[in-house]
Amino acid sequence: MTKALLFKDIDEPGLTTLEVYKRRGGYESLRKALAMTPEQVLVELEASGLRGRGGAGFAMGKKVSFLPKGAIDKYLVCNADESEPGTFKDRELMQKSPHTLIEGIIIASYAAGANRSFIYIRGEYSRQADILDVALSEAREAGLVGEDILGSGHSLSLIVHRGAGAYICGEETGLLDSLEGKRGNPRLKPPFPANQGLYQGPTLINNVETLATVPTIIGMGGAEYAKLGTETSKGTKLVSISGHVQRPGNYEIELGIPAREIIYGLAGGPPEGRQVKCWFPGGSSSPVLLADDLDLPYDFDSMAKAGSMLGSGAIIVVDDSTPIIDVALKVARFYRHESCGKCTPCREGTNWTVKLLERIDRGDATPMDIEIIASECENIIGNCLCVLGDAMAMPIGSMIVKFREEFEAHLEATRARSDLGAIHA
Amino acid sequence: MPRPTPKTITFTIDGREVQAPENSMLVDAAKLGDVEIPVFCYEPKLGNPVGACRMCLVEIEGIPKLQTGCSTPVKDGMVVHTQSPRVKQAQEGVVEFLLLNHPLDCPVCDKGGECPLQDISFGWGAGTSRFVEEKRHFVKPVELSDHIAIDRERCIMCYRCVRYSQEISEDYELVIQERGAHSYIATFDGRPYDAPFSGNIIELCPVGALTSQPYRFKARPWDIEGSGTICTLCPSQCNVTLSVRDERVMRVLAREHPDVDDGWLCDRGRFAYPKLEEDRVTEPLLRDGGELRPVSWERALDEAASRLRRAGTRTGALAGGGTTNEEGLALARLMRDALGSPHIDSRPAGKLPLELHRALAEPSLQAKVPDLEFAHAVLILDCDPIADAPILDLRLRKGARRHGVKIVRAGREQLLDDAQRAALLEQLRSAGPAQGTSTDAEQAALEVVVLWHERLSAGSDGERAVRALLDLAATLGLSRIDGAGLLEITTHANGRGLREAGALPNAGPELSDVETQGLDAPGIAQALTDGELTALYLLDVDPTESDRERWVGAMERATSVIAHAPFLTEALREHSDVVFPAEAYPEKEGTVTHPDGRPQRVRRAVRHLGEVRDERQVLEELAARVTAAVRA
Repeated sequence: MTKALLFKDIDEPGLTTLEVYKRRGGYESLRKALAMTPEQVLVELEASGLRGRGGAGFAMGKKVSFLPKGAIDKYLVCNADESEPGTFKDRELMQKSPHTLIEGIIIASYAAGANRSFIYIRGEYSRQADILDVALSEAREAGLVGEDILGSGHSLSLIVHRGAGAYICGEETGLLDSLEGKRGNPRLKPPFPANQGLYQGPTLINNVETLATVPTIIGMGGAEYAKLGTETSKGTKLVSISGHVQRPGNYEIELGIPAREIIYGLAGGPPEGRQVKCWFPGGSSSPVLLADDLDLPYDFDSMAKAGSMLGSGAIIVVDDSTPIIDVALKVARFYRHESCGKCTPCREGTNWTVKLLERIDRGDATPMDIEIIASECENIIGNCLCVLGDAMAMPIGSMIVKFREEFEAHLEATRARSDLGAIHA
Repeated sequence: MPRPTPKTITFTIDGREVQAPENSMLVDAAKLGDVEIPVFCYEPKLGNPVGACRMCLVEIEGIPKLQTGCSTPVKDGMVVHTQSPRVKQAQEGVVEFLLLNHPLDCPVCDKGGECPLQDISFGWGAGTSRFVEEKRHFVKPVELSDHIAIDRERCIMCYRCVRYSQEISEDYELVIQERGAHSYIATFDGRPYDAPFSGNIIELCPVGALTSQPYRFKARPWDIEGSGTICTLCPSQCNVTLSVRDERVMRVLAREHPDVDDGWLCDRGRFAYPKLEEDRVTEPLLRDGGELRPVSWERALDEAASRLRRAGTRTGALAGGGTTNEEGLALARLMRDALGSPHIDSRPAGKLPLELHRALAEPSLQAKVPDLEFAHAVLILDCDPIADAPILDLRLRKGARRHGVKIVRAGREQLLDDAQRAALLEQLRSAGPAQGTSTDAEQAALEVVVLWHERLSAGSDGERAVRALLDLAATLGLSRIDGAGLLEITTHANGRGLREAGALPNAGPELSDVETQGLDAPGIAQALTDGELTALYLLDVDPTESDRERWVGAMERATSVIAHAPFLTEALREHSDVVFPAEAYPEKEGTVTHPDGRPQRVRRAVRHLGEVRDERQVLEELAARVTAAVRA
């Protein structure tokens, strides 16, 4: 069921060292790439059909091609903020195979013509940042990062920058502001980072997994890589499974296998005697799917067609022992806490949603309040400066639609227990 | 530097075809079709839009998501809907979100009645609230400074004030603290917001969160009237609207003029108004037994006329402060025609040969205020904009920030020393359009504005400095280049107008030739000290303020000192014999001339305080009495 490309040697002892990484074929793709022209590398990336693994699923090769050509300062930024609840694939990748990421960054920078790069890593990942720093110094010593890499004429500086811990700094433009030393607030787009990103220069921003996939693509060839997966979702994907499953963890799968195979086959399904109530297919910001959706192929388009998204590939399973109101409150509180406050719908809407949900839970609500949640979530979706507001409103909205009766029953039950008494009593 | 020359395009909004400049933001373009798209955070004066408040969401055909009209440049053929159900729902949603935590204390809010949040809630909101929870609370009001109070509960987090502080005045004192629903506007560490242009945030605030401390609870918008005039407290001559209630100025607001002030005011101009009423001279005063005592106008005019008549040609006169062109002209007539005295000046710096005045006033050599924003380089010469003409400081910052204008500062010594002047020229040229490889044509396009202060022309080598300045201008070809030139900041607010009105010892109106050369300001002081002159007429000026040593003795020696003054300064209290109460600028009627040559209209906003009379009429009355007595 798994298909190991990125995770091929992931449990190899000592893989974090340059020596072991090289012994397992590391940096061969880099040599191969540097022997090609940057345009040829880009052709391979485009041929692979690789879509961004951070959440939005935008074609990586196309993103590279958006960068203006010519001799100007260009930047490559690796988004290692991995802050979406339920997502922990990049952590394992960086912790166990830092050189895969470094190699991917070097190749991508070569294709994009970028000479300065950063890994923006969340502050909580201090261990992984330390590992990256050690690996990076090895790579520098070996002449893999720095001036004139392996005699190719391509130069690259690479810096590991630690964030201070904010979900919004995983949003690409919030990340750029934070990297520049400012308050991490998202920027208005356009301009997109490819035109005006870090320090106003053209910037390529990619997720850790996306960049770490690049050496594989160059190694096996874009066309070969594109044979994996489905028509529109090529290749393999790291999936983080958490929640009510027996074997939570990271698994590498070929895109397009049924979700049931991942949740039940790989992760063992919910504990004995329990059923899947709902599941988040792509992190806590994706609208929830139901047990009926388990046989859908797990790929970008199938998830989107089902009204959700593949996102970062973080599957969170909720079983029937958990009231939906608890799930909703957990999600809403997280996004209220992480809203940067820059735009109105997100700042006010996340706060209001939590208050409404709390009232339902407290026994101080009427059925109209469920209506209000649905309607204000609708007023958030698509109307915010960045997607953080949507990240709360979409899953909450989906829960209201799919578990309306449970919300109503919960509301009645808590009301009955409270001083207010039941409405239909 | 090339200035934007927008192309006109046609787009469709709410079913009607509208022509608008290409790439103007949709909210601005919509206005041209009489369509209003509501905004809170959008304010073009603050630079690039931020799209934070989301009030301006509109539907654009071909784009699935609603777009913010404040940040969407209009393109040819664009089809926009602002009235569709989707847009309406989004707008009502945003209004609802904004009002969730807003206290709605409009009846006791200074902004009530002139509040965009009120207007937009009324125009685009649903009119009801579904929010029943406890609203967010903050301690309020908090003093942001002596001038400004902040009510964080009313704040809708549009960031205008923070953007202003960071991108316009560049004092970087205002920041956002905390995150999400807890975020609020503050100074970084709670210190007072102490900056020269802080008051502008009061006007920028689209709600009642930032209020003026002196204006707080003084009036409501429906019992004040706006009266447009010019602030003549400094040569910037910003356009202002005075809010007037019961013949009193309640506050000063900017009256945006892109070619003068860009819609900003300095704190001095904004908050000086209560002082314009305090400790004023409100009736004529006459020295009697060593003390200035109130007398009737008749008595004061008589006394002044007889003193002037006695002194005759041995009278000197100075004009300054907010003196208008008409008053300057009346003073020149009183001196030259009635008294036959040529000793009149409005330049503390002293006399310059008339040919230099004329060379400096050469129309092709004049730079305009907006040129500061688009030149390749601005040379700030012997001038400190923040003190000399504060509002230009903001213009210079704007030019440097948005258009990459190179700012070069130099003093008189750099201009007068050959080697240093050459280095200065090099510095200016390096800002040119094509550095290094410049051809003659490209070099010719180097736009330099020299912003210089009258003090450059003061003292023994003042004349040399002005000649060097003219040489520099000739070397750079400033008179041939559009957008380049000289801009002189005068000592007095209407310095340029007074000169052109003939308040100079060596020039009549419009810098015309005069028969008799008079003494300049320092010369008048010397002549008074030496006893060659016996009377001194001061029109809105206390010369001891600019040159104490020279003038204290001179005023002491003078037989007669007749002053037209709004306030009694120490020197005037000690040495003047007759004091006429002068008008403060809100009481004045007339014209002034901006340092860049623009005539501006000063309009009376409030009635004269006490027995204050129209200054020009007083001067004409004096001239009549002096002349009549001579003829009699």
